[in-house]
Amino acid sequence: MNTEIVFSLLAAAIQSGTPILYATLGEIITEKSGILNLGVEGIMIVGALAAFLTAKVTGNPVAGFLAGGAIGMMLAGVHGLVCLGFQGNQVVSGLALTILGTGLANYFGTPFIGQAAPGFTAVAIPGFSAIPGLGTVFFSHDPLIYFSFALPPLLWAFLNHTRWGLGLRAAGEHPEAALAAGLNVTGYRWTGVLAGGFLMGLGGAYLSLAYTHLWTNGLTAGRGWIAVALVIFAFWRPGRAVLGAYLFGGVVAFQFRLQAMGTHLPSSLLLMLPYALTVGVLVFSCWKKRGDEAPAALGVNVEPAE
Amino acid sequence: MKKLVTLLAVVLVFAVGIAAAVDKEMKIGFIYVSPVGDAGWSYAHDKGRLAVEALPGVETSFVEAVAEGPDSERVMLNMARKNYDIIFATSYGYMDPMLKVAAKFPKTVFMHCSGFKTAENMGNYFGRIYQARYLSGMVAGAMTKTNILGYVAAFPIPEVIRGINAFTLGAQAVNPKVQVRVVWTKTWYDPATEKEAAKSLLDVKADVIAQHQDSPGPQEAAQERGVYSIGYNSDMSAFAPKAHLTAPIWNWGPFYTGVVDSVRKGTWKSESVWPGLDEGIVDLAPFGSMVPKAIQDTVMAKKSELASGKAKVFVGPIKDQAGTVRIADGKTAPDGDLLGMTWFVQGVIGTLE
Amino acid sequence: MWSSCLVFLGAVALSLGISAALLATQGRPPLRAMLLFFDGAFGSRWALEDCLLKAIPIFLCSLGVGISFRLQIWNIGAEGQFALGAVGATWVALNFPGLPAPLLIPAMMAAAMVAGALWGLIPALLKIRLGVNEIIVTLMLNYIGILFLEYLVYGPWKDPRSFGFPMTPQFPDSAIVGTIGTTSINWGILLCLVLAVAMFVFYGYSRRGYELRACGDNVRAAGYAALPYSGLIVLVMMVGGTLAGWAGFLEASANMNRLQPTIVVGYGYTAIVVAWLARLNPFTIGVASFLLAGLRVGVENLQLELKVPAAFGSIMEGLILLTVLAGGLFVHYRVTLRRSA
Repeated sequence: MNTEIVFSLLAAAIQSGTPILYATLGEIITEKSGILNLGVEGIMIVGALAAFLTAKVTGNPVAGFLAGGAIGMMLAGVHGLVCLGFQGNQVVSGLALTILGTGLANYFGTPFIGQAAPGFTAVAIPGFSAIPGLGTVFFSHDPLIYFSFALPPLLWAFLNHTRWGLGLRAAGEHPEAALAAGLNVTGYRWTGVLAGGFLMGLGGAYLSLAYTHLWTNGLTAGRGWIAVALVIFAFWRPGRAVLGAYLFGGVVAFQFRLQAMGTHLPSSLLLMLPYALTVGVLVFSCWKKRGDEAPAALGVNVEPAE
Repeated sequence: MKKLVTLLAVVLVFAVGIAAAVDKEMKIGFIYVSPVGDAGWSYAHDKGRLAVEALPGVETSFVEAVAEGPDSERVMLNMARKNYDIIFATSYGYMDPMLKVAAKFPKTVFMHCSGFKTAENMGNYFGRIYQARYLSGMVAGAMTKTNILGYVAAFPIPEVIRGINAFTLGAQAVNPKVQVRVVWTKTWYDPATEKEAAKSLLDVKADVIAQHQDSPGPQEAAQERGVYSIGYNSDMSAFAPKAHLTAPIWNWGPFYTGVVDSVRKGTWKSESVWPGLDEGIVDLAPFGSMVPKAIQDTVMAKKSELASGKAKVFVGPIKDQAGTVRIADGKTAPDGDLLGMTWFVQGVIGTLE
Repeated sequence: MWSSCLVFLGAVALSLGISAALLATQGRPPLRAMLLFFDGAFGSRWALEDCLLKAIPIFLCSLGVGISFRLQIWNIGAEGQFALGAVGATWVALNFPGLPAPLLIPAMMAAAMVAGALWGLIPALLKIRLGVNEIIVTLMLNYIGILFLEYLVYGPWKDPRSFGFPMTPQFPDSAIVGTIGTTSINWGILLCLVLAVAMFVFYGYSRRGYELRACGDNVRAAGYAALPYSGLIVLVMMVGGTLAGWAGFLEASANMNRLQPTIVVGYGYTAIVVAWLARLNPFTIGVASFLLAGLRVGVENLQLELKVPAAFGSIMEGLILLTVLAGGLFVHYRVTLRRSA
């Protein structure tokens, strides 16, 4: 295994991990506000289709990217409505959203299978991309990946250093106390759900506009669920989410390269690696945790003030 | 007197028969194992169905994504009960359910693709796409500079394995040093996964990427790296104009319309048929402009030889990956062996599961 | 009780309405589509038989999933447990073909039980020992379980006479659960009835069952809070795994007569919808299983007659679940009103 393959693998890990990173960051912001959204998979794939169709119709990939986020936000809004408006069980609502979202995307997307849309292509950053090794790994990607580099620090700053972010976290940690203090818990939770949905939709859009320029049913292939797991691995911190997403992307890329290099391991077993890794990562996180990372009121519906 | 009555009866039956045959609209049903357009496989069959739909006096319908096993049996029963005249089932796993249903509905014609069991009202059919893959392999072998060809493969079933072998044999025919590396995605329709698989092949220096799935993911990957690709089944040149060399394609239309005609005329009989280039059921997509004329000519010459039967693809000596001779010198592999092919030829680097 | 029935029916009606509207936006006649849907699902003797046949695995998976939901343990793993159960049963069928049916079938069931329960035990143990979220673990085990099944069927268990296609050899006759009379329904339905009665007795009249019902009311949602009753958690997950495993056994033995990757068709996920709609009552689980089986069969008819894409079934399932969830609000508030009156 020469160094060129290693760098190529790392670059592939970033590319493969980026949609998961978007979705994980989205779920982090949602869960920080106290809402558990298991509909990530459904939201991602609906976002992917929306982005694809918008880019195809308008010819503008940026419009497609934003549309993906917007539609993702709308679908997340359904979850918000059911949980915040109707006090529905958050777990089941999320699951229903995954079933519905996947069905909607497959239903409306079927006529477009096998077609392409204008998307984003790799843009090497001049100067930096010539650095041996690092250049390939970090500076030869498409604009959506560069954008995703900026998101974790932005999210961190929002959650920890803005009033809005602090209010959102309060809604997730001590909603009753926050209510008593006069904070609009429902409002903050809506923010969490909608902003999260937007990011998840962007993750889906990445798949259909940058990772490939194509659409097909099942484009997300379970990445939304991986994102939910990675939130736990990340201890709800944006920085660690980056590590998890690229690690996962790396395993996916790695098992294909193993095959290409001529391994004798059966491919079924190799394909298990990403999922087994997810479980391993979760077990490790739970083993190491101090017990206070999760938002204390995650998943609990709070009745609005009478 | 008896003779007159008999004559009248015969004339009557004839008239009614002719009237019925002429006026009746035929109902033809298709069952697909994957959604139309996803796997190339079902998409190609559906294009054939559309050719049938264009015939006068014919009404077609289809059900897609039908799981093999009891679900498919139910769908076939449903169609048969609705008096469909012909039912086409396009996946191996539909074979046993179809046999069961055929026994219950002797008046309906059942056609099964890629299997081997028949009944009085059930025939089977397949297409020799491997011939077209052989030809595409010739192009790939001629155009490669690194002598490493990459193959993004779906599932280790005989059709895919046979295709990889034919591709390899074709490449080796023009370039004996070539090796073919195989990566399994275990998907029929996942462009993201297939593109990643293609990228991993590109990382090991493959400079022509071929594929079994229908998504243009691998084509995109090849174009992005500035190398070549072989498509599958449809006009993937639109996705990768600088990379796309050619592609093996299906052409089920003439076959399906032929079956419908024979049933209408009453000449249909149960048999196992496996047409290929000879009947135009499979073909090679137009060459990309980057393929030199000399190579195009060689390949087209081989194509006519295969079509006329002068040449065959699986003619010995052919060794497997371990070096054992599987097809003896000068011998042609019988169809049964081809249908159940579960070994790779020498020169293929990859697992079989 | 009646108000929740009403809400449930209202929700289903609403989701059907939305589905019909969806069809209309694509130019398909909504009323005719709904009629075709119902006719395809319930309109003939064969359709009803097909629904019953499909309802069997859905029912079994739902019973299992439903138990764990009651404890707020979110078992999403019925799909993987189903696959493992099929694998276990197949192992027995392939390795002991000489045994007579009265020995072979129970042996297959035992193997399916062990395999399915094991697949349920893993997430349970991880949860009680380390507090690992069971939603993710069971979901990942779905993927792993199905890939494991594929590995076996493409590799060591592949039928040498299947022309290389991924399927095991056909099961010996003694391993096949037969059909009842001239119908296409297999004896698995007897298993369903027995289990339904057993569950009813268990919930209503046993100490463990009482604990289960009581515990569920006190536990906070979403599993991050510290959970008592670790023993109950292990029990429900293993029972859930067993039941889903038996569904896999029946599908392999009675319907497919062999093992193929296509045995996995999403019953485990439909079970989640059923379990949520029907809670713990075996009777309502039975009815809901039948209805959701009908949904699948009806959608097939829509595909055939109106060329509706196969994904339509998922849309309907998702809509039903969401509307019922939203409808739960009205039940909740009505109950509160009654209490305060």
